[in-house]
Amino acid sequence: MLQQRNATPLEVLRYGIILVILLCTVFPIAWMIITSFKPPDDIMVMPPRFSFQPTLDNYLYAIQKANFALFIWNTILVSTTSTIFVVILASLAAYSFARYNVGEGHILFFILTTKMFPAIAVVLPYFIIFRDIGNTAVGQALGIGLDKPMALIISYTIFNLPFAIWLMVSFFQDISRELEDSARLDGYNRLQVLARVVLPLAAPGISVAAIFCLIFSWNEFLFAYILTRDAARTITVGVESFFTLRGILWGPVAAAATISVVPMLIFVLVLQRYMVRGLTFGAVRG
Amino acid sequence: MSEATASKEGLPAAERTRPTKSMSDRWFSILLITPAMIIIVFFALFPLGYAVDLSFRYADLTRRGIQEFVGLNNYRYVLFDKPFWRSLQITVTFAFFAVVIEMLLGIFIAFLINGVRVAKGLIRSLLILPLATAPAVTGLFWRYLYDTQFGLYNYFLGLVDWAQPNWLGDISIALWAVIIFDVWQWTPFVALIVLAGLQSLPREPFEAAELDGASYFRVLRRLTFPMLMPVIFLVGVLRAIDALRLYDSVAVLTRGGPGTATETMTYYLYRNGLQFFRMDYASAMALLFLYALVVASGFALRPLLARFAQRAGAR
Repeated sequence: MLQQRNATPLEVLRYGIILVILLCTVFPIAWMIITSFKPPDDIMVMPPRFSFQPTLDNYLYAIQKANFALFIWNTILVSTTSTIFVVILASLAAYSFARYNVGEGHILFFILTTKMFPAIAVVLPYFIIFRDIGNTAVGQALGIGLDKPMALIISYTIFNLPFAIWLMVSFFQDISRELEDSARLDGYNRLQVLARVVLPLAAPGISVAAIFCLIFSWNEFLFAYILTRDAARTITVGVESFFTLRGILWGPVAAAATISVVPMLIFVLVLQRYMVRGLTFGAVRG
Repeated sequence: MSEATASKEGLPAAERTRPTKSMSDRWFSILLITPAMIIIVFFALFPLGYAVDLSFRYADLTRRGIQEFVGLNNYRYVLFDKPFWRSLQITVTFAFFAVVIEMLLGIFIAFLINGVRVAKGLIRSLLILPLATAPAVTGLFWRYLYDTQFGLYNYFLGLVDWAQPNWLGDISIALWAVIIFDVWQWTPFVALIVLAGLQSLPREPFEAAELDGASYFRVLRRLTFPMLMPVIFLVGVLRAIDALRLYDSVAVLTRGGPGTATETMTYYLYRNGLQFFRMDYASAMALLFLYALVVASGFALRPLLARFAQRAGAR
């Protein structure tokens, strides 16, 4: 449609504006990563220093002083476990919604409604419930209670289920029914069709949903803040531990923030083709 | 999975020859959704019921814990609580400006990128980065960027000889600092989805318009925007719901301050429930808030998503 020709002034302007926008977008993240490698003396200065001797001190400080290794481990534990739960539960349900249209859309919309709950409105009852369960023998045996990773795993599983079901339904709808029907004619039962035909075909879609859930749980703040104290703290909340009485230690804050953010940046680049679809609950296919 | 693998023809025929739904199909489908539904119903509705119960009681966790029923007292108190209405006003102000700016800027950026011929993938990759970061984490770092002494923003403003506001400390500016942060994080969301909408528009009407010699703005007004409207509307509703629920960035950027200048409803709720431990009052507020959001999203979102889902299913 477009022939190769020399850039017109209008196009130069277009690229110029895009460049400015991208600079604004990337700059805060880039500055955060840069700051994390600065020695303390180069952080609290005006004018800001753009050249300095890079150091890993901030990372070492964060990991040694603030128990940050534990926060990282908690984050990984909580986000991967809840994602596994979500994937198992959501893929079964989503297949049922996509293939059998169970509930004719009403159940599907009820599920979405729970996603619209403002987190702050549910966190109060969760707090009380987990506190009470934690004081019972059952709670202690199962490791459920305040400041326990299990509390966050359960919360995140519930949180991400509606989203994952919606996104997966859109992927399951893309799978041809003829394939399933012919597998049925070949003598597979329903469960075999699901396990051997549908799930392998839906694997890319399921992994997209899984990565989204992983990002959401990894980045979650409010529940982690309110349901944990020390033992089950995650990175998002742990970053605040460098707010000391004598002031904020921006170097370690930047290092901790970088540890929290960089894995997700990589995930999002992997997801980039599916970002639009994921962010609209599968409605816009991008 | 690529779109090509989904067969586009022959579906209606297969539909017709498919065996009619037997009872066992039904049970199988119900069986599949059961585990997820148990979790959702139990863990989503149980806390909700708990909150409803609390909202009708006296529950001050700092004193005597959960006590007797007091009927509608908590709700009545909400209606006459000035800080509540003030926080509602702040929430709506925030959501209005944040969403409007994000929509205008995002649509503009989508059109810009849509006309790009080289490095489109790279541009999109860089654009989505803010969406991957936790607002609680980047927001915290923005406090450093907003800092009056060492902050880069005031440094840059100083370079061009502009006023250097006390971003997070000035009552009239703090809310804007939160809005700017939100715009930074969520404008790419709008841009990305509108861009996807633009790219999936059918070609034929535009080619016909070109043959007719229609001007660029006429095409924009008569063709592009009307066809793009469902996508724009969907993005707007999703953004509005999220903006009204804003909590994380307020919690790390300003903590509702200075004074109560940025105390959104969610933050006011948090203070009542988990700092003053007035669970009864907080629950009543949360339920009113929840009810408003669910009703609004039900009305606005449901028809929209149903329409998109239907179109997807019809392919």
